[in-house]
Amino acid sequence: MTAYEAVIGLETHIQLNTLTKIFCACKADSWEDAPNSNICPVCTGLPGVLPVLNERVVEKAVLLAEAMHAEVQPVSYFDRKNYFYPDLPKGYQISQFDMPIALGGSLELPIPAAADPQGKGYVRTVRIHKLHIEEDAGKTKNDGRERQVDFNRCGVPLVEMVTEPDLRTADEAAQYLIRLRQLLRWIGISEADMEKGNLRCDANVSIRPAGATYLNEKTEIKNVNSIDSVREAIRKEIERQTHEVEEGHAIKAWTLEWDQDAGVLRKMRSKETEADYRYFREPDLLPLHISAEWKAAILAGFPERPLERRARFMREYSLPEYDADILTLERALSEYFEAAVKAYGGDPKKVSNWLMNDVLRMVNEQGLNPAEMRLTPQHLAELLKLVDAGTINITTGKALLQLVQDSGKAPAQLVEEQGLAQVRDDAAIRAVCQKIIADSPNEVAAYRGGKETLMGWFVGQVMREMKGKADAKLAKDVLAGLLK
Amino acid sequence: MTLTLKEVEHIALLARLELTPEEKERYQQQLSAILDHVAQLQALDTSSIQTTSSVLPPQARLREDEVREGLTTSQALQNAPAAEKDQFRVPPVFD
Repeated sequence: MTAYEAVIGLETHIQLNTLTKIFCACKADSWEDAPNSNICPVCTGLPGVLPVLNERVVEKAVLLAEAMHAEVQPVSYFDRKNYFYPDLPKGYQISQFDMPIALGGSLELPIPAAADPQGKGYVRTVRIHKLHIEEDAGKTKNDGRERQVDFNRCGVPLVEMVTEPDLRTADEAAQYLIRLRQLLRWIGISEADMEKGNLRCDANVSIRPAGATYLNEKTEIKNVNSIDSVREAIRKEIERQTHEVEEGHAIKAWTLEWDQDAGVLRKMRSKETEADYRYFREPDLLPLHISAEWKAAILAGFPERPLERRARFMREYSLPEYDADILTLERALSEYFEAAVKAYGGDPKKVSNWLMNDVLRMVNEQGLNPAEMRLTPQHLAELLKLVDAGTINITTGKALLQLVQDSGKAPAQLVEEQGLAQVRDDAAIRAVCQKIIADSPNEVAAYRGGKETLMGWFVGQVMREMKGKADAKLAKDVLAGLLK
Repeated sequence: MTLTLKEVEHIALLARLELTPEEKERYQQQLSAILDHVAQLQALDTSSIQTTSSVLPPQARLREDEVREGLTTSQALQNAPAAEKDQFRVPPVFD
């Protein structure tokens, strides 16, 4: 039996998070707005209007091009893509065709061990074919026999980014989208929420005997609106094509639509997919020139990319891949970590542990933004130093995180004000230990009878009695002596 | 330059126009005549002229990203043949 490999290319539409639309001054984000409330003569295609390009759209597209290592073109053109559909009031979409804003590029995609059949993990290089900017169309929805049209989305700025057919598995496709989403948020150009349609994805899928270099006929999967659905839809399509080929049937260049509720792919009618767009240069817009100066101004302060930072965290701070991955999921968190490491000066892994186990839980449970927390990286560093110095124990340290966050006061100040310092007074601890032992004859007998695991219970009683402030190690030593 | 009847039918489909056989024939002649007229440009020798798609000043005007008031929903729907729930109502496109 022949082994097959899949060849997958992704076409993504990225909604830019500008305030206004691409060619008019209407509010761009209508997620929570009533239908037809963010529209004007330009985006509804009334006669005699002219589009004027939003400069922030250009800037954000240039940022994305840089993030993808694509080459920004000094001159690019807008073109009309002509088709009739009720969601497109002008009868054409302003897009870019043969001379788009950026060409080429690539993404080095780390594939985790869990998505590697060999269980080791590897890197997949995905080349980018091109990026272009265009306007979105409106929304239509069926209501019985009629259709209703909402033009709010008309003219919302999109970047369409197309990969080369470099992906080989459904998991790789999902990883690409995960990393793209991370990158888009990192550079702040899109909310990148697939469920809200800020990030949309079509997948081109074909199969061939493993190791072959030619391309077979492909199908296109449309209308997938979550990363899990992309993975599932591609997996099913690879299975279907493999089955067809094994049965001796040819693969036809169908367009398939993902039915989210049924979890199946359906063939779209050819009427919906036959295209003759008669592209021509948009006569209402001049060529877009991006000078070296403008480009440099846009890219001033361009951040380290997330995957680069992830690799550097592993290299520079000797963090495990797992830690580096989590700490770089969001830019603000990665910056928090690095600021804390600098302020602390000790073992970066210790900072990572406190961040991932405790601070991140606060962030997630309380919906905090690491960049705006009252528990600053400097506070975290100070707190760790207090633990290192034995001024407070770990239990107190963990409780202190929330106290600092709630009050905005420095850890040392809170320790002072609330008397949280660890009790390391031998006599004080000894007195409490003696009381616990006197109060617990059964446990004492059991311990002396050989049940040494009860030590933890004794220490716990001492800690409770001393409101968590006892030096646990000292308490244990004293207890061990008394229980002999 | 004469358009074939098939080409006329294709153009009519793209424009979502339903043509009678007489109209098809008439448009075939009219469209062909228009193409012939424009084709006169082909007589010019442009071998020494650089390819260009615009003779206007090079840089597109850009707009600052500032929100401005547009149309109200009722203004937008004023000329709609049919409206429902603040939306334009159109017949189903397919089937």
